[in-house]
Amino acid sequence: MLIPRRVKHRKQHHPGRSGAAKGGTTIAFGDYGIQALEPAYVTNRQIESARIAMTRYIKRGGKVWINIYPDRPLTKKPAETRMGSGKGSPEWWVANVKPGRVMFELSGVSEEIAREAMRLAMHKLPMKCRFVQREGGDN
Amino acid sequence: MADTTKISAVRRTEFGKGAARRIRRADQVPAVLYGHGTDPVHLSLPGHDTMLALKQANALLEISLDGKTHLALVKDVQREVIKRFIEHVDLVVIRRGERVTVDIAVHTTGEAAPETVVTVENSSVTVSADATKIPENVEVSVEGLEAGSQILAGALELPSGVELDGDPEMLVVNVSAAVTAEALEAELAEAEAEAGIEREESEDAEGEGDSADGSGDSNESEGGSDQE
Repeated sequence: MLIPRRVKHRKQHHPGRSGAAKGGTTIAFGDYGIQALEPAYVTNRQIESARIAMTRYIKRGGKVWINIYPDRPLTKKPAETRMGSGKGSPEWWVANVKPGRVMFELSGVSEEIAREAMRLAMHKLPMKCRFVQREGGDN
Repeated sequence: MADTTKISAVRRTEFGKGAARRIRRADQVPAVLYGHGTDPVHLSLPGHDTMLALKQANALLEISLDGKTHLALVKDVQREVIKRFIEHVDLVVIRRGERVTVDIAVHTTGEAAPETVVTVENSSVTVSADATKIPENVEVSVEGLEAGSQILAGALELPSGVELDGDPEMLVVNVSAAVTAEALEAELAEAEAEAGIEREESEDAEGEGDSADGSGDSNESEGGSDQE
């Protein structure tokens, strides 16, 4: 699973959820992609689960790119703990995804296979997504 | 080859985001026209016609403005990220017969040898061509190519009058051997075990998932301790 090797600070504030993606909104490497339509924190487990779902469907053809990285730690206090006594311990690693971001890309398969593989992958992700493909008229 | 599309434009007199939003609400697109040492001209274009014209890559437009006609090439298009409507268009003035440098898409045709994966490493190449004869795309055949084959930009067959303007050594298409079924299954099983994903297809797989769930958690805690 994707996890940073070392970080400067173990615990961080929650990443901001407002606004749309500033970059990575078009397909850069493959022919097809999954674009986020809502903001969400995507955990490393969800990213891996989506990648596995796609790879299992396309089997041995095609190539998958992951364009997001879970580099933000989220913390959690243990159950039945009183408030205070400092911040909880790191529990998840998440990617802060904003609307418009192309999270996964795929190439080397037909559109039909890509649509189905990405539909399966979208079910593993915590936000509304859509299937996108490279457009001829984009300059 | 590129066909020109005639679009009548109106000169813009007010600027800023408020004015641009008023223009967009009126189903028009703010644009700017520049090039050949001329002063930039701020325009508004009809929204629907512009959208149809820009469906084609490297669209060539004939802009009618104040009784004059300008030949322009689309240099840049800004689109809204989610709804994909056109927010702004940059147009560059060109002259008939002038050579321009543009990026054109690379399309693959045919089927490579079995047990291979075809990857288009660079989906566009930079070429110089007559402004009125820009090809829509360049096709490259991968028919029967074996694993390890590579097609470089210099090996592309470009139409007459079109010259490659970028690095001829740039890798365009790479044909690699497909991963074996056993290797893929092993890699996915390991990834599932690490992520604690349970498969429902067989009891064995579920068992692996259960045992891996704990190990996945321990991995996470190890990852957390690494940060300290």
